[in-house]
Amino acid sequence: MDRQQEFVLRTIEERDIRFLRLWFTDVVGTLKSVAIAPAELEGAFAEGIGFDGSVIEGFARVYEADMLARPDPSTFQILPWRGENPGTARLLCDILLPDGTPSFSDPRQVLQRALTKASDLGFTFYTHPEIEFFLFEQGTKPGRKPKPVDEAGYFDHVPKGTGHDFRRATITTLESMGISVEFSHHEGAPGQNEIDLRYADALTTADNIVTFRTVVKEVALEQGIHASFMPKPFANHPGSGMHTHMSLFEGDQNVFYEPGAPYQLSKVGRQFIAGLLTHGAEITAVTNQWVNSYKRLWGGGEAPAYLTWGHNNRSAMVRVPMYKPNKGQSSRVEIRSIDSACNPYLAFAVILAAGLKGIEEGYELPPETEDDVWSLTDAERRAMGIRPLPSSLYEAIQVMEGSDLVAETLGEQLFDFFLRNKAQEWNDYRQQVTPFELKRYLRAL
Amino acid sequence: MTESVRPRTESLPAAIARLGFDDPKRVLGLLSDPAVADLFEDSERIEPDGLAQALSRTADPDDAALAVVRFMEAAARDDSLYAAVTSALCRPGAARDRVLGVFGASSALTDHLVAHPEHWVAAAEAVDLGPVERTDRLVEAVQAAIDSRNADSTSTPSSSADAAGGTSIVGGSAVGAAGDPIDVLRIAYREQLLGIAALDVTAAQATERFEVTSRALADLAAAALEAALIIARSEVGAAADQTRLAIIAMGKTGGRELNYISDVDVIFVAEPAVSPDGTLVDEATSTAVASDLATRVMRICSTKTAAGSLWEVDPALRPEGKSGPLVRTVESHRTYYEKWAKTWEFQALLKARAVAGDPEVGQAYIETMSPFVWQAASRENFVDDVQAMRRRVEQHVPKAEADRQLKLGQGGLRDIEFSVQLLQLVHGRADDTLRSRNTLEALAALSAGGFVARDAAANLAEAYRFLRTLEHRIQVHRLRRTHVLPSAEKDLRRLGRALGYRQAPAEEIIQVWRGVQREVRRLHEQIFYRPLLAAVARLTTDETRLTPSAARERLTALGFRDPAGAFRHLEALTEGSSRRAALQRQLLPVMLGWFADEADPDAGLLAFRRISDQLGSTPWYLRLLRDEGLAAERLAHTLARSRYAADLLEQAPECVQFLGDPRGLTPQSREDILRRMRAAAGRRPDPVEAITAARGIRRTELFRIAVADLAGKAGLTEVGAALTDVTSALVEVALERITQAVADRTGGRVLTRLLVVGMGRFGGREQSYGSDADVMFVHDPVPGVDAGAAQEQALEIVKELLKVLGQRGPDPDIEIDLDLRPEGKNGPLVRSLASYAEYYQRWAHPWEFHALVRAAVVAGDEDLGDRFLTLIQPLRWPEGGLSAQQLREIRTLKARMEAERLPRGADRKTHIKLGHGGLSDVEWVVQLTQLQQAYDHPTLRTTSTLAALDAAMEAGLIDTEPGTDLRRAWELGSRIRNAGVLFRARRIDSVPSDAREADGVARILGMPPGSGAALADMYRRYARRARHAHEALFYD
Repeated sequence: MDRQQEFVLRTIEERDIRFLRLWFTDVVGTLKSVAIAPAELEGAFAEGIGFDGSVIEGFARVYEADMLARPDPSTFQILPWRGENPGTARLLCDILLPDGTPSFSDPRQVLQRALTKASDLGFTFYTHPEIEFFLFEQGTKPGRKPKPVDEAGYFDHVPKGTGHDFRRATITTLESMGISVEFSHHEGAPGQNEIDLRYADALTTADNIVTFRTVVKEVALEQGIHASFMPKPFANHPGSGMHTHMSLFEGDQNVFYEPGAPYQLSKVGRQFIAGLLTHGAEITAVTNQWVNSYKRLWGGGEAPAYLTWGHNNRSAMVRVPMYKPNKGQSSRVEIRSIDSACNPYLAFAVILAAGLKGIEEGYELPPETEDDVWSLTDAERRAMGIRPLPSSLYEAIQVMEGSDLVAETLGEQLFDFFLRNKAQEWNDYRQQVTPFELKRYLRAL
Repeated sequence: MTESVRPRTESLPAAIARLGFDDPKRVLGLLSDPAVADLFEDSERIEPDGLAQALSRTADPDDAALAVVRFMEAAARDDSLYAAVTSALCRPGAARDRVLGVFGASSALTDHLVAHPEHWVAAAEAVDLGPVERTDRLVEAVQAAIDSRNADSTSTPSSSADAAGGTSIVGGSAVGAAGDPIDVLRIAYREQLLGIAALDVTAAQATERFEVTSRALADLAAAALEAALIIARSEVGAAADQTRLAIIAMGKTGGRELNYISDVDVIFVAEPAVSPDGTLVDEATSTAVASDLATRVMRICSTKTAAGSLWEVDPALRPEGKSGPLVRTVESHRTYYEKWAKTWEFQALLKARAVAGDPEVGQAYIETMSPFVWQAASRENFVDDVQAMRRRVEQHVPKAEADRQLKLGQGGLRDIEFSVQLLQLVHGRADDTLRSRNTLEALAALSAGGFVARDAAANLAEAYRFLRTLEHRIQVHRLRRTHVLPSAEKDLRRLGRALGYRQAPAEEIIQVWRGVQREVRRLHEQIFYRPLLAAVARLTTDETRLTPSAARERLTALGFRDPAGAFRHLEALTEGSSRRAALQRQLLPVMLGWFADEADPDAGLLAFRRISDQLGSTPWYLRLLRDEGLAAERLAHTLARSRYAADLLEQAPECVQFLGDPRGLTPQSREDILRRMRAAAGRRPDPVEAITAARGIRRTELFRIAVADLAGKAGLTEVGAALTDVTSALVEVALERITQAVADRTGGRVLTRLLVVGMGRFGGREQSYGSDADVMFVHDPVPGVDAGAAQEQALEIVKELLKVLGQRGPDPDIEIDLDLRPEGKNGPLVRSLASYAEYYQRWAHPWEFHALVRAAVVAGDEDLGDRFLTLIQPLRWPEGGLSAQQLREIRTLKARMEAERLPRGADRKTHIKLGHGGLSDVEWVVQLTQLQQAYDHPTLRTTSTLAALDAAMEAGLIDTEPGTDLRRAWELGSRIRNAGVLFRARRIDSVPSDAREADGVARILGMPPGSGAALADMYRRYARRARHAHEALFYD
């Protein structure tokens, strides 16, 4: 760490960085930024930079407002879109209380705590997200129907497509920030794109996702378009998920891999999935945290609305992807419910906690579901023991309220705040009179 | 030993046994072995001053006897050697004593002598050597081996490949030219070690020799590092000249106080060399070569070859520890210590000494680094770091060994070393005479400078020498790195004898060791705290003293936040020549340590000063503090831990007496308290004065309960019951006196009998510190008395009672709360039993039945009490439970209360009483269950929340899981509330959000220091679960 701090300070001098942005996220994953001068950085490493926590969602109550943001030197990154000279750089921060102890409301530390718990069991947690999002023409105003930049479909090559340039610019920017991109293509809906980030440990991935969302929005702006991670902007097109591939390593061994087992999936892997299914409903309010998230989950198609797992079943919530021969280290499990507008720190933390619980308690994995879950009747689903995910944010909150697992993972204070914040959102939503209602009832009734 | 010449009549085995051999038969067998025949003139008897007697003087005569036989067999292979050895061993003298001494003390060195009998000279003719000679000898031997190998390899290039395997160790003369240099290093090392051990084990006074021995061992280790570096350079070849590598010894090697066998802590520093063409080699190349050399040096020392190994070289003290580069330049070290180093790293630097390699680079390193050491104490987190380090030192003892550890744990070696180093760091900045690397030298300097009292320093040094000598003797036996006292009888016997205990060596050594341990513990407190006192007390004795600024430095280091204030208090406590001042000068050194252990040392010291001022020279106070060790300790901890207890004690200093009395901390029964209150009140004619006297007793009892609670001698339930008893006894006495006084004023007749009914926590015997006393008053006119007159008298009594109890008294205020009476705030203060009956029959609301669940008689007329309880029985434990309408009303009431009663700004999640999952959530569930089920389940008929909850779980009315959740939340909430009052002497409504307050409360709850945030998280978790249970149980 110390050498890292030294490195950062030196780079700032060498590269003529004049502005530093200290980043952290609030409870729902919105990026917050404090600008400081390079001269202040050394002090910030040692003691943190004070700020008023009471103005940030979920950070503090008024009488304990003083908080410290302490930059993590390993996250130092020059921001390319701010121009080369004089440059701007960012660092992600840990949030501390005035006495230097970690703040219980800092999402980044929630994930760090969960990872520490995993490492106490001997595990390192790796994730690989496939992030979907939409590109719209500029001028799309909140409340109006958005206009996508194209009308293409899955994997379509759009000649002179805006999306094409956009993806290229985004990827260049990301790569220049040290964030490796694995794959990018046009997705199923008009204006929809997907960019996959390369495998990394969960904390790095979460940091990368937060950065990624910012980069995507910045690049879109530069190109005169607008990017959105809203889970379901169109009722009649698929929404934006963030399918995430996960694996656990013990040293340099992938513990999900067992040669000869069905799908080469080890017992630990099966228990991990069983954990995800058992606690899947409890963690949904975190992995799918918006009112709109449930329109995607219950919108049919490939969206997973039931607590099931399968091999090549794209309607299952958890999928065990095709095993590539002789690639034991790449054995993995894919969770498909999570959407791109989640707070990645919290989402990874609860997913990991659910999976670990499965391992610790030795849960039995139910049989896999081979059918398209959507095409089954209710009775069939009940007979097969297939439980649904919460059908609305409201239901998700209800289930989460009773979850010790989530409370312990998030910490009591953040748990409580999160629930209150979401209950408020649900309340606000419920008071709306929607275009649907006006259209259907105004004349008829 | 002259008396051991025995008459011939005694059998030889008996004579051998008398000499102290353990197994005389076996020894006799050994001594008649042909190999040793030449060592006796007369093998039929014990010769005066012969071999047998000489053996008996060693640490382990039996082992020594066996060793002699083995050694003589080995020596017999060489005639001239055999002759020399025989002549030395059959004659008394230093040579024989030394060789046999080694045989008796060390099986490892015996093995070496059997393998290399020619080394006997090193033991027999051992002399003390200086560091230069030690290095020269090792280097010479190693250099010769390197030269001869180089010569060999030029003639037969392949012969060096199997050099290690091919070297003959047994019988070979390894020192000199032959053999692999690495093996030669080991053998030559052990030859010198033999000399050191021979002088050590034959010293007249074992502990006196410690400094010479440990210095010699450190010098030998340094010599070995130098020799290893030479071997490494020869392996690397010409490239080695590109760097100037220096080896810095740290730890015990650095301090020249090494053990027989120990990791050798080092740091490697390298600077680029000047290449033959006159330019400076670039830094990267230099560092790379130096790292190669350093790695080789470590391997050369630690690898196990046919000739064994030396020891591990541990470079972990370098910047960034294990993850840092092995070698750095001087400048790079400087940058690290300037910017990143932690307090313990500065402490480690104290011992740094250049011992091998390039002397200029080594010197440059030392000169650059030493200023940093002395700035450590001015670093920001120094105090916190030191406290944390100190806790770690004390806690890091493996449980299984805790009992036999010489090094770690209380009273161990580490305790002494740590204390000395800490004092060096604290005071060394201002006083450069303290800057020694060696523990004993530093201790002497601290004593000379007045930082530590002279006798304490001398005693501590003696204890240190003893412990280290013990450690030496344990290690020399097998040359194993251990700091644990062996447990086998034979090993203990050897140790005891080695340190000069001959009567019952195994028992004595343990006994002496335990004594030293205790002494170290005590001294260790003294060297920290006593000089502080000397500084403030301006003693006129020869005691040297700390300057005021040094005293403040040290107080800060101990955790006092206001050292100037603490200094003043110490001054006030110790000035003058009174007995009290003299006694306190003695006591405070230890008490300061106890204060410093707690959350608020400053407050503790201040309170102690106040109490001391008040008690002045009260003889029992001085006696108590002097004679009852536990009393002073408990006093210090209590004062620095609890403002509530400290305040009570300042009001009633005589309570200090409880602290010395083993039964003093048991809360007293209500009867005993009542008896004492009546006696105190009875002596005063005026009722107000009488009640004030009774309240004095209450104050005493509250203190007793608080101390029992703080000392963990009374749990939540006991504390609740004890607090309730104190209150109810006071109300009883007050009622008696006021009834009498009112009757006296109105014609001397008592017109009515009064009863005080306790409600809420008071009725439930679950009071907390500072909680209100909820009551109702009932009266019943004496037969034949006019009802109006009786009511009037009853009202007068109640009003006066409320007035007197509501006044400020010597004890904490009592708040009597009558809000739960019929009609609440609008109802009359007291009703007759008949009026209650009528009211409950006609008007009562379900909330009143609910309140009656916890109604209990607390004072007044017993017979009336019984009748009142009979009256309310069908109301609180109704047949068939509540009606649907009543149930709805109760639920609504609770919901409304929750919405309305929570104070503005309070957090619903952490408000202990009214928040979610708080006390009231739990209580309403329990009471509702009682209202519904107590008729059918008599076990529910109790006023105690916990008892009722347990009964409900027992009866299956509440499931175990939610029941346990409710219980845990209620207990934790109640305990936090109690601890809050104890810590700051005022009520807390929520889990404290202030870090220091939370820490203080958490410590009282028995959590480790710094657990404030963990306590808050724990409360929220318990409360959340209790809230779930509440919602599931209360509304369905």
